[in-house]
Amino acid sequence: MPALKSILDIEQFLQFDNLELIAREVVEGFITGLHRSPFHGFSVEFAEHRLYNQGESTKHIDWKLFARTDKLFVKQYEEETNLRCQLVIDTSSSMLFPYSKGSNQLRNKLVFSVYSAAALIYLLRKQRDAVGLTLFSDEIEDHLDPRLSSVNAELMYGKLTHLIQPENYRLRKTTDTTETLHLIAEKIHKRSLVIIFSDMIETNKTDELFQALQHLRYNKHEVILFHVTDHKQEREFGFSNRPYRFIDLETGHQIRFNPHEVKSHYIDTVKNYFNELKVKCGQYQIDLVEADINQDFKQVLYAYLLKRKRFF
Amino acid sequence: MVVEITDSNFEELILKTDKPVVIDFWAVWCGPCRMVTPIVEEMSAEYDGKAVIGEVDVDSNPDIATKYGIRNIPTVLFLKNGEIVDKQVGAAPKQKFVDKLNALL
Repeated sequence: MPALKSILDIEQFLQFDNLELIAREVVEGFITGLHRSPFHGFSVEFAEHRLYNQGESTKHIDWKLFARTDKLFVKQYEEETNLRCQLVIDTSSSMLFPYSKGSNQLRNKLVFSVYSAAALIYLLRKQRDAVGLTLFSDEIEDHLDPRLSSVNAELMYGKLTHLIQPENYRLRKTTDTTETLHLIAEKIHKRSLVIIFSDMIETNKTDELFQALQHLRYNKHEVILFHVTDHKQEREFGFSNRPYRFIDLETGHQIRFNPHEVKSHYIDTVKNYFNELKVKCGQYQIDLVEADINQDFKQVLYAYLLKRKRFF
Repeated sequence: MVVEITDSNFEELILKTDKPVVIDFWAVWCGPCRMVTPIVEEMSAEYDGKAVIGEVDVDSNPDIATKYGIRNIPTVLFLKNGEIVDKQVGAAPKQKFVDKLNALL
């Protein structure tokens, strides 16, 4: 299997239909290219001695202790985790952009976010870090607390797989990033790394949105915000010069116009908004990463590894 | 100071006091117990007069260990009026012990 670097590669491997397998390929392909191993610093801690019960496996008996004292005790370990990470994915309809019903229906912001999240889950679990998942649109749709267990990982892969099945795509699902981020900030108690995948499209609520981001930081969480966009169409407005019908995926509102008429105004407005976002994130020490869905997953994995390095 | 609890002085020290009691069950040969001992010692200084903090060597005092059904060591029991209210099995950070004791005060 060749290295899977972006969603364009993954499209050819959809027959596997197994998110964990794809996540593994993405991560392993990425790690092969790194010089230093990112895996370090985890351990299992010897926490207690327990009386040996007859019939139990003899594997964990402390034989040295038995030799010295004739007592049969079993060593019990506690798994240590270095990091708690909460992945937060925006599942509103705007994430389905560029929306298509044809063969390209998997090339959208949601699919990119899901594959990136799956790769991060794989990477984090490999480092024995606890991972949790939150899905939201105008409310929190699903929330799993960070855990180390493989059951939790399977649940997360299951939920993510369900999310990207084209038959589960839902239009007219609005976003309330502000409210959700406040709720998440309240829900997560221990200091965690919060990784958000969102297109941050929320009308008229910019100030509240920044307050929500500040709330997360106030609770001492480290935050990475992956601002997921289709760079070519959303940032550069790369449409040809003919009339188009633009449909708002979240409200269904439609307008017809020629892209050329508004192109420069659109680009300026979008640029200003993103600049403001960048400045605010800088102020609150939130890592803002511009993730273009047509680019490599590397952009996501590198950003995470960099942050993790600074976390300790 | 941490009180040395034995089978003989157990009743007098533990059951006849109205203060919260913390008992650390340990053994000489147990590695993780050595992580808990300094925590218990620190706590006995910090909670002097407010709580009775003692330790039981399970090898020399098997009766107490049996009475409380101690199968894992280290085990720290938190008692009030002679009844077990909470316990901590295995080594843990100091804050965990402190929180459990504070809940009884």
